[in-house]
Amino acid sequence: MPERPQQSYFGKIFLIAWREFRHTALTKGFIFGAVAMPILMFGVIGLMPALLSKEVPALVGTIVVVDPSGTIVPRAKAILEKPPTAMEAMEEFARNPPADTGSQINAASEMAGIGSQKIEVTWRGEKAPGAVDGIKSELKDGRILAGASIGAELLDPSKDAKAFELYIPSSLSPKHVKQITRALRQAVADERVARSGVDKELLSRLNNPPDPTTTRVSPKGTEAQENTELRFIVPGAFMFLLWICVFTSANYLLTTTIEEKSNKVMEVLLAAASPMQLLAGKILGYSMVSAVMLVMYGGLGLAGLSAVAMMDLVPPMHLVYLVIFFIMAYFMVSSMMAAVGSAVSDLREAQSLVGPVMMLLIVPLMLWMPIIQNPNGPLATIAGFVPPAIPFVMILRLTAATEPIPLWQTALSIVWGFACAFGMLWLAARIFRVGVLMQGKPPTPRELIKWAFVK
Amino acid sequence: MSLGMSFGTSSASSSAPAAPSRARPSGNAAVRIDNVMKRFGSVQAVKGISLEIPERSLCGFLGPNGAGKSTTIRMIMSIISPDSGSVEVLGSSALAMKDRIGYLPEERGLYRKMKVGEFVGYMAKLKGVHPTGLARRIDDWLERLALPGVSKRRCEELSKGQQQKIQLLASIIHAPDLLILDEPFSGLDPINGRLVTDLIRSEQARGATIIFSTHQMHTAEALCDKVVLINKGDKVLDATLAELRAKHDDRGLVCEPRTDARTFADAALARGIATAARANDGGSVDLDLAPGTDADAAMRAALEIAPMRSMALRRMNLDDVFVELVGKSDGEHKKGARIDA
Repeated sequence: MPERPQQSYFGKIFLIAWREFRHTALTKGFIFGAVAMPILMFGVIGLMPALLSKEVPALVGTIVVVDPSGTIVPRAKAILEKPPTAMEAMEEFARNPPADTGSQINAASEMAGIGSQKIEVTWRGEKAPGAVDGIKSELKDGRILAGASIGAELLDPSKDAKAFELYIPSSLSPKHVKQITRALRQAVADERVARSGVDKELLSRLNNPPDPTTTRVSPKGTEAQENTELRFIVPGAFMFLLWICVFTSANYLLTTTIEEKSNKVMEVLLAAASPMQLLAGKILGYSMVSAVMLVMYGGLGLAGLSAVAMMDLVPPMHLVYLVIFFIMAYFMVSSMMAAVGSAVSDLREAQSLVGPVMMLLIVPLMLWMPIIQNPNGPLATIAGFVPPAIPFVMILRLTAATEPIPLWQTALSIVWGFACAFGMLWLAARIFRVGVLMQGKPPTPRELIKWAFVK
Repeated sequence: MSLGMSFGTSSASSSAPAAPSRARPSGNAAVRIDNVMKRFGSVQAVKGISLEIPERSLCGFLGPNGAGKSTTIRMIMSIISPDSGSVEVLGSSALAMKDRIGYLPEERGLYRKMKVGEFVGYMAKLKGVHPTGLARRIDDWLERLALPGVSKRRCEELSKGQQQKIQLLASIIHAPDLLILDEPFSGLDPINGRLVTDLIRSEQARGATIIFSTHQMHTAEALCDKVVLINKGDKVLDATLAELRAKHDDRGLVCEPRTDARTFADAALARGIATAARANDGGSVDLDLAPGTDADAAMRAALEIAPMRSMALRRMNLDDVFVELVGKSDGEHKKGARIDA
């Protein structure tokens, strides 16, 4: 018989790895689900205000103001025609954030729509207080947009009058009501300031309470600038990035292993490769899937930060830690998923075994806040040495720390974490080798451990 | 799930990369198994089977459902390891010889979403086939299997019979030295059955040793050089077809007398030509000859009773051998059970 070349041990592993990668990452499902969806989502969120802003309706008509002083109409006219700047709108938004998402989107769209709205308003001032009845009848007939009555008392700085009358037709949109109200309120306020003889600029300066620039000084004397919001967001982003990339690909590993068992393709594969080659190939293949996601999402995040010139929030060392703990987390989570996948015959059976694994993985998500608030506290320190939470907790601690984590803790957690990861991988391999050939009722966690030590 | 199983796939596979030697099978046996036993929980699936399958032979594994055929095959493949006994495949172990073995498992499985050509190519590459010219080779094979143009279709789009042929192709695409097919004919229509029969013959002609299990006695009879009959975990027959014929062919006559069949049957019994005589509805008579009887003398004696329309030596029928041996071994099992009790 002619001599035939044979596939090498590692050749088989690479073939298996490439097949797993190709049939997971290079599929329409993955490209749409893992790549296009988030980009689309960010895109939609970014575009939403712009899309909505086009719908801001024009403000056209006549506004009649009963204004005995004659000063309010020109002021209000100027304010309405000069919309607030984006900065002013944002400040307003930050001071008074709307409670629900709908209003937030609305407010955001208003901000985006600023300047693009068509405003053609004719103002008419009435001196006689009795003109209110005329305003009402004109409103009824739909001849005017709105009417208001500003009492003389309201403009007197020595009086404590707080309200003016506004008359609007039932059909006027809330946005237009808000715009008119804002113009009138501001006009009254400006008139009151003018009458009191105080410089408006001075008043604004006097009234503006200053913001602190916070510096944290540790007992060792190190100093760090405080940025409260980002102190929560950046470490969280690191951990979620790690969690999502690792968990998504480990989940793929779980489902394809189960699929191979339920499809009965497993025995065909085992005639060509050993269980160890199969497991190694799978873990390698999905590590590539995971890495693609990490680079993609992480890259998107970094691109976003660099776009707003905030790259200094992510020192290069943090990226090094991200890679180290990503590898550790991937091995830990994929080992658990491979063991579970090999042990069950279908996805439904997997639920009972995936449950405990998920519980373990959710712990770091729950500890997010307490760890960020006190990255060197006892909870964070201890959790940083408990597998499989190690990589998630450590990335939180290292990126959240307002004072450095002791080097020995970082080094020990890396060494200990990798030791645990390889221990888990070894256990998973033992279970996998038995599990892939098993059919029938799913094993209990105790049986799984027993398999690991079968000769 | 049954525990208490030991799995042999780890020891060799988890160690350093296997460097399989191209050692020729010792003593011209492609497969040699010696006293292998396998127990699943409380069931003794295989009870000490020993056998040798010569190189380039075509061997049929026969036996009723649950006899232990697939377990024996899986032990030969080293997918499961025996509790005791030894298995030698191509002079080594199946683990080291994986790339020289083709295997069609009893439970069929394909990657449903993978394209046919891609799947066969993947299996071929795993078995060491060089990618150069592989696509062409796969297309040629698909044509030969009456599946032209399915290369770009997903596996799940094919019928069950077509999927089975694809799997068979995946097991032979690397031109293995040993081909193990577990129930290759199940679920195939007669046309595809014949196609697979031809394929098995051509693989043997190429030089491969072939082991296949089946329930279809006529297929085994038509194809095999050697048959191994397994019943309840025991080997109850291990012989070449030639040996079986020599033993069973001249054990009976089929006569078609021109007189009344029943009268002829009675006369044959009375003259001691046969130990049993059965008159069939069509007018023919089956005569069972006593062991050691000269068949030619018996034919002459039969002709003296009545003129014949036709008369022939009864050919061996594997179905009968199967039923007889399985029946006998079941009887022994029952007797054994009674003694044990």
